[in-house]
Amino acid sequence: METIVRIPTPLRTLTGGADEVTASGKTVGEVIEDLERKHPGIRERLLDDKGVRRFVNIYVGEEDVRFLEGLRTALKPGDQISIVPAIAGG
Amino acid sequence: MTRADARVLIVGIGGIGCPAAMALARAGVGTIGLCDDDEVQLTNLHRQILFSQEDVGRSKVDVAAKRLRVLDGGVHVRPHSRRLLPDSAMDLVRDYDLVLEGADNFATKFLAADACRLAGVPIVHASAVRWVGTVLAVGPRGRPCYRCLFENVPTDGAPGCALAGVLGPVPGIVAATQADLALSILDGNFVDGQLVTFDGCTDTMRRRTVPARADCDLCGTRPLIRHIEQQAYLTPPA
Repeated sequence: METIVRIPTPLRTLTGGADEVTASGKTVGEVIEDLERKHPGIRERLLDDKGVRRFVNIYVGEEDVRFLEGLRTALKPGDQISIVPAIAGG
Repeated sequence: MTRADARVLIVGIGGIGCPAAMALARAGVGTIGLCDDDEVQLTNLHRQILFSQEDVGRSKVDVAAKRLRVLDGGVHVRPHSRRLLPDSAMDLVRDYDLVLEGADNFATKFLAADACRLAGVPIVHASAVRWVGTVLAVGPRGRPCYRCLFENVPTDGAPGCALAGVLGPVPGIVAATQADLALSILDGNFVDGQLVTFDGCTDTMRRRTVPARADCDLCGTRPLIRHIEQQAYLTPPA
């Protein structure tokens, strides 16, 4: 199953500038693994050895995956994933 | 509390703090505190709209205070020409009803979040880097908080505007959103945990409600952060 993933600006250097890409998988974790195959380096920007990095938030629809099942969160047809990284600047 | 009675502290008088201060002054906020230790630089001028070329080298807080008083003669401006630091943060935020945080480094963001939660002062956080911006409002209940969203000071992988740059109009949009949420809090029309993101590449703004985390170190059921510790905010400024 293909899922649309919205890519934030800081990570678009890894997706050739694309603000949306598609990746396949039944769970958020599987989608990230497919993203890594298509856009090498993106996994490290999202995950560390404990899971989702502490200053990155991954949403399925409007829900933060930390409040669902984390990387094991199951995806349904039509779900979209978006990524909100911490930023400091003004 | 009326807007005229409200005391609002702005931490970081940069690309976000400048337009946010202007919006609040024109909206009738009675007292505005300005906290920053920087001087105006030429590279600030494309986004820090209270300043102009003749201000380069001057204290941001002093110049901003002067301009705000010209914008609205009724506003009382309190200049705090210093960085928000662990040893004084609590005393400073306690003097205000609301804090707007638009700092350019994570240490100050987390310090402001912690001090406001511990002091019981609502806070609206805002950031802008390159083409993206985020705003998070933490209402009078103090949760969900900034640490519910981003748990701790990042150690890598999160560039600030000094390194990554920021497109001039983006902090203006972010600041307007921050000021709007701030006025909602002051007016009592606020829903907790509003996270707004703006993507300047696609001109897309999205709003989500951030849930409170039960295991949050700051506002969770068993909080670990009970006072401000100097060593918790040691990451270098951007």
